[in-house]
Amino acid sequence: MPLEAKLSGKISGLQPFMADAIVYGCLFALMSIGLTLTYMTTKVPNFAHGSFVTVAVYLAFTLYHFDNLPAYYSIPFSFLLVGATAAAMYRLILRPLSARGASLVSLMISTLAIDIAFQGIFGIFSDTLSNVYKVFNSKFFLLADTDISIFGLRGLVVIAPIFVVLVTVILWLSLTKTKFGIAMRAAVENPSLAGVLGINIQRVYIVSWFIAGGLAGLAGSLMVLWLPGNPHVGSDFIVAIFASSILGGLFSVYGAVIGGLMVGGLTVLLTVYGSELLGSWVSAWEVGMPMLIMVASLLVVPQGVTSVNWKRILTAFRKR
Amino acid sequence: MELPHVFFFGINVVLFGLDLLAFFALYLAISLTLNLEFGYTGIANFGKVLFIAAGASVGGAFAGRFAAWIFNISTQGDFITYNANIMPQVNAVLNTSVPASIGLLLISVVVAGAVGALFGFLFSYPAIRLKQDYLAMTLLAMAQFFQIFLNNYYPLIGGSLGLELPDPYVWAGGLRYVVATGVLVIFAALVYIYCERIAHAPLARTLRAVRDNESAAEALGKDDVAIRRKTLMVASAISAIAGLLYSFYTVDVLPATFGRVVWTFWPWVIVIMGGAANNLGVGIGVFVFWFMIKAIDSGKFVFSNYIPFDVTWLEYLLIGAVLISILMLRPEGILPEKSTPTLSKSRLRTILAKYGKKPEDSPQASSA
Repeated sequence: MPLEAKLSGKISGLQPFMADAIVYGCLFALMSIGLTLTYMTTKVPNFAHGSFVTVAVYLAFTLYHFDNLPAYYSIPFSFLLVGATAAAMYRLILRPLSARGASLVSLMISTLAIDIAFQGIFGIFSDTLSNVYKVFNSKFFLLADTDISIFGLRGLVVIAPIFVVLVTVILWLSLTKTKFGIAMRAAVENPSLAGVLGINIQRVYIVSWFIAGGLAGLAGSLMVLWLPGNPHVGSDFIVAIFASSILGGLFSVYGAVIGGLMVGGLTVLLTVYGSELLGSWVSAWEVGMPMLIMVASLLVVPQGVTSVNWKRILTAFRKR
Repeated sequence: MELPHVFFFGINVVLFGLDLLAFFALYLAISLTLNLEFGYTGIANFGKVLFIAAGASVGGAFAGRFAAWIFNISTQGDFITYNANIMPQVNAVLNTSVPASIGLLLISVVVAGAVGALFGFLFSYPAIRLKQDYLAMTLLAMAQFFQIFLNNYYPLIGGSLGLELPDPYVWAGGLRYVVATGVLVIFAALVYIYCERIAHAPLARTLRAVRDNESAAEALGKDDVAIRRKTLMVASAISAIAGLLYSFYTVDVLPATFGRVVWTFWPWVIVIMGGAANNLGVGIGVFVFWFMIKAIDSGKFVFSNYIPFDVTWLEYLLIGAVLISILMLRPEGILPEKSTPTLSKSRLRTILAKYGKKPEDSPQASSA
C-alpha cells in the first residue's frame, strides 16, 4: 500500500499501527514519569524501574486467573503494591546506603542488584504458579482479548491516553497548587535550604518513590492488555524508559511525558514507515528503535527537549 | 591421550577443576578490565557484555571465513548456510598443522582487539563528555542494542541460531580442554601483569586523579575525556579478546548467551566484592565468586527435589543479596584500595634506610 493511502485512507476506527503508537507512547510516558521523578528527587538512576512494571503485570495476571478480575480493576491494587515496594526499596536499601556516603555509582549498582533479585523472585513466582498451581502459561500469557471495546476500538487505545492526561494534570495541580507539591519542588531545587525551612525531605523522597512505583504499577496493569506478559517484560523496557527520560531531559516530569510519548510513538511509526520504505527487514528492529532515538537525542539535545529554547528558535526561524 | 578420571562423591574432580580454572581465568581477565575502568578511572561500564559479545562474534564472523579462505575451502558463496559443512573441513586442516592453528588464533586475537577498541570508541562517543550516569545508561542501552543486532542480523553470525567456530585446539585431541584452559590462563596472567604494571606506574595516579577530582586533573593539564576514552578502549580491547577466547573454548557463538546478567553484572559483583582499585582483591573476588557459583551448580540436584522452582533463581536472589550486603557492610570490598608505590618494596626500603626512616613514615606509602 502506498504511503499516502496509509496516511489518509479511510480510518475505519483506526489503523492498527496508529493504535500501537498511541498505546506504546502512553505506556512509556507513564513509566518514564516515575523514573524521572526518583532521579530528580534522590538523584538515583533506578535500573530496577522496569521490574516494578513486571510486579504489576504478574499481579494483574494472578488476579485475572484466580478471581477473574479484569485487568482494569487491578489498577488500584497495582498502584498500592508497587508503590509500597518502591518506597520500601528506597527506605530499606537506598537511604541507608546514601546515609553511609555511598557514591552515585554504588547507588546505581545497588539498583542493578535489586533488579537481579527481582528477576529471581519473578522466576520463583512463575515457576511456582506452573508447577504447584498448574498455571501452565505463567511464563507467557496474553490478556489482550479480555479488553473491553469502546467505539469499536480496543478499550486501551482510549483509556491509556485518558490516564496519561489525568496523571499529568494531577501532577501539575499538586506540584503547583498544594503545599506538599511546592515543598517537593523546593526539596528538588535545594534540599538543604528546604530542610532548614522545616520541610521533611525524607518524607518527600519516600512519597516520590511511592508515586514512581505506583505509576509503574499503573503502566503494568495496562500493559497486560496489549503485550504478552513474561518474567522479563518490564526489564526489557528499561532501556526504552531511560531513552524516554533522557529525551525529556531527566529534570522535568512533563518532559518525561513528552519524551515517553515521542519515544513510544516514534518506535512504532519509524518501524512501520521504515519497513514501508526500506523493506520488511526493518520490522525486526522495532526493539532497537528506542536506543537509536536515545543516541540521537544525546547527540543533538543532550539536556532533553525541555532544555531547548523553542521560542528563540521560532523567532530566529521567522526572521529568516 | 585421555584425561584421567578421578571421582569424588560422584563428581569428576579433574573436569570440575579444569572447568573452574577456565572460568576463573576468563573472569579474572574481564574483571581486571572492569577494575581498570571502574576501580581506577571511575567509569561505570554497565555495557561490559557488549565488548565481550563483539569479541565472540569476531570468532564467528571472521575466524571461520578467514580460515576457509586461507585453506582454499569452498564456501559455495554462503558461509552461514554451509557452516556445518565447512567447519569439519577447516578443522581437518587445523588438526594436521599446529602452526596454522596458532596462527589462526593469534590473527583472530589481533582482529578482536582492534574491533574491541573501535567499539569502545564508537559506543561511548554519544555520552563520554556527559555526566557519569549518562555514560552508564548509554553503555547499558548499547549493549542491549548489540544483542538485538546479533539476533537479527543474519549475515554476520547467523542471527539467533549462531554459528560453529573453527577449533584452533583440535590438534590436542583428548587434551583439547587442557590446552584451551591453558591459553585462557596465560591470557589472564598477562592481563594481570599488565594491570599491576599500570597500578604501579605514574599512570595509575593520573587515572585516580580523573576519578577523584576531574577538575583538579584538568587544571593540571590532563585531558580527562581523552583519558576516559583511552581507558575504555584498552579495557574493551582486552574484553573483546576474552570474549573471543571464550568462543574458541566453547567452539560456537550464540547471541542469546550474551545477556547482561552473566557478562556485565557478575564482573561488577566480583569487583565490588574483591575490592575496587585492588588487582589482587579482584583476583580473590573472582575465586570466591566462581567457587560459590560452581558449588551451587554441582549441589543443585540435592535441592531440586524439594523446591517447586528452578534453583537458578535462588542463585539470582543470592547474588543480589550478597552484592547489597557488601555495599552496605563493607563497601571497600575484601581487600581495600591501597597505595601502590612506583618503586619496588626492596628499593623503597633501601632508599628509606639511607635516610634512617622506616617505610611506614614515607609519604608515598602512607598516602592512599
